Amino acid sequence: MPLLDRPVVAATALVYMAFVLMIGVWAVRRTKSSRDFFIAGQGIGLLVTTLATMSSIFSGFLFLGGPGLTYRMGMASFFISFPVSFTAGLLCWTVAKRLRLLSEVREVYTVPDAILCRYRSRLASGLAAVAVVVGTVAYLGAQLQAMGILIEAIFGTREHFGEYSLAVAMAAGLVVVLAYAVAGGMVAGVYTDVFQGALMVVAAVAVFYYALESGDGLGSIARRIAASESFGPGFLDPLGHVPVATALGFFFVFAVGALGQPQTLHKFYMLDDPRKLKWLPLVLGVTQTLVVLIWLGIGLAVPALVAEGRLAPLGNPDEAAPAFLLHFAPQVLAGLVFAGILAAIMSTADSFVNIASAALVRDLPRALGREVHRELYWGRVAVVGVAVAAAVFALAYGDLIALLGTFAYGTFAAALTPAVAVGLNWRRVTAAAAVASIATGMAVNLTLEFLAKQTFLPALPKLPLPAGVLPSAVSLAASFTVLFVVTWWTGKDEGDDLDDDVAAVMEL
Amino acid sequence: MAKRLSLLYLAASSPLILLSLLVAAPMGDMLFAVLVVAFPVALIVLGAEHRGGLGPLRVPLFVLLVYLEACVVAMLLLRGQVTEAPWVGGLPLATAIQLYGVFLAPMVFVALFYALTFERFGLRREDLDELRRRFPRRENGGE
Repeated sequence: MPLLDRPVVAATALVYMAFVLMIGVWAVRRTKSSRDFFIAGQGIGLLVTTLATMSSIFSGFLFLGGPGLTYRMGMASFFISFPVSFTAGLLCWTVAKRLRLLSEVREVYTVPDAILCRYRSRLASGLAAVAVVVGTVAYLGAQLQAMGILIEAIFGTREHFGEYSLAVAMAAGLVVVLAYAVAGGMVAGVYTDVFQGALMVVAAVAVFYYALESGDGLGSIARRIAASESFGPGFLDPLGHVPVATALGFFFVFAVGALGQPQTLHKFYMLDDPRKLKWLPLVLGVTQTLVVLIWLGIGLAVPALVAEGRLAPLGNPDEAAPAFLLHFAPQVLAGLVFAGILAAIMSTADSFVNIASAALVRDLPRALGREVHRELYWGRVAVVGVAVAAAVFALAYGDLIALLGTFAYGTFAAALTPAVAVGLNWRRVTAAAAVASIATGMAVNLTLEFLAKQTFLPALPKLPLPAGVLPSAVSLAASFTVLFVVTWWTGKDEGDDLDDDVAAVMEL
Repeated sequence: MAKRLSLLYLAASSPLILLSLLVAAPMGDMLFAVLVVAFPVALIVLGAEHRGGLGPLRVPLFVLLVYLEACVVAMLLLRGQVTEAPWVGGLPLATAIQLYGVFLAPMVFVALFYALTFERFGLRREDLDELRRRFPRRENGGE
């Protein structure tokens, strides 16, 4: 990451952090129960829910990793983000309504809670909780690491702290996240997400404008890229520059896998009135589409600028966004965007600490037939514990954490999507099928992703997949296959094992 | 009927998608693309069916399916022809299909139809009230 320490950038980041802390202080008084702590008391309106959902979906990857990936592989990379235009509708039609209605009839705060309701199986919900904890700690570690690197770059801490710089930067960011996440739980999380989400939308639209302006418009940008030697026409070809299995594998994992992301599904419990779901796909779809514009703008502008010779070729593709912002955007906008990146990282991190805390304090004990008293108190303790553990792992095993962080989306997708998306809509899915599907998704994804990327154990075999095939696409397809096969195998009449209230929810 | 078809599709296509990922074969790219693009539409159908039918959603969801399939088949057929094919809206045709077709257009379709059919196929006020009346919230239990 290049050094970003310019006064305007640093000042904007400080103002942003101060705002976030103020929201945390306000939220403390509104957090009086575990219901408040985990699902914001189920008192959140449509716009707040939408912005909170959007900002928890988009991490720093959207701003930094996404443009870098486009620099590396061209238009095919957008199959990761382009499904957002209809995943909001997919979520609402397939899972959101039933999850929200389950919380009308039961004290349901988490995805494993919903799985327990639906399948009446502590094994299924316990496995789901394990998937949540594994994915969350890895994802959280990666987010904290990214936050530390960004804070280092903004405040120039390396000059003052040397080899301890990253640890200091991570600690500083962690203190801010914990301050509002511990005190205010999801109330703080949701309202900071609103602020962060609004910031992300404003920053994204502004950057998109400057990106198009830097290249004299989309047409001019595209022609420059096509005519260049370093990028060429293949860069613009959606299915030509990389294997189809990679490009459409992205589409499969990120469109369908959205139905298994706990940080998204968890937000639906918070909506005060389930009938407000009516407008959620439109509002969420629009805000997500606007935010993706920053990836699109920088992703296309930077190669065009490099092709034109106005920007030096990137040594590290992930520097696409910082390079563009530092050289082609006004300083105030650059400051706003870096605050937006910090916002994206922290909004994702605060969702995950809360979800992991719920999994440890609520889901796993219940799966073992136990109950934790004083859930609010232990929830707060768990938030600190999870965050500190993730930060320590990120520092001690940085490469491993970065590796594991990329697994998380695929792990959630493969483990949870079939059991939740199909199971909430088809009464014949059995508990055995849910267990098998969750276990398959988790095991296959973790194994394949690890084999694909690890460099720690040279004796392990290489990934046994054709070139370009995504491990997470394989694990998602495998998990769906297992769900249907085991459902057929264990065959039950419809509705045999459903409680009346759950059956009524599934009828609506 | 629609729900049954969508379940059949999901059950049949899951192992086929898995196979096409594991085994590199001729026509594998086209098969994988066609199967994958229909998958989220099948999931929408599964969730959207309400009390035995899709009602006014039948036609829009079918159009959505055909539309997305047409987009992906077109992108496949245009592979490697960025400079030869026409340019639309400042972009090569395949890129324009990806950006305007796959990214921007479906949102209007999917989000608007969800809102427009919500009162009948989403959640009616009387159904919600009935649910609350019959089943006051209780603790979550398991086996």
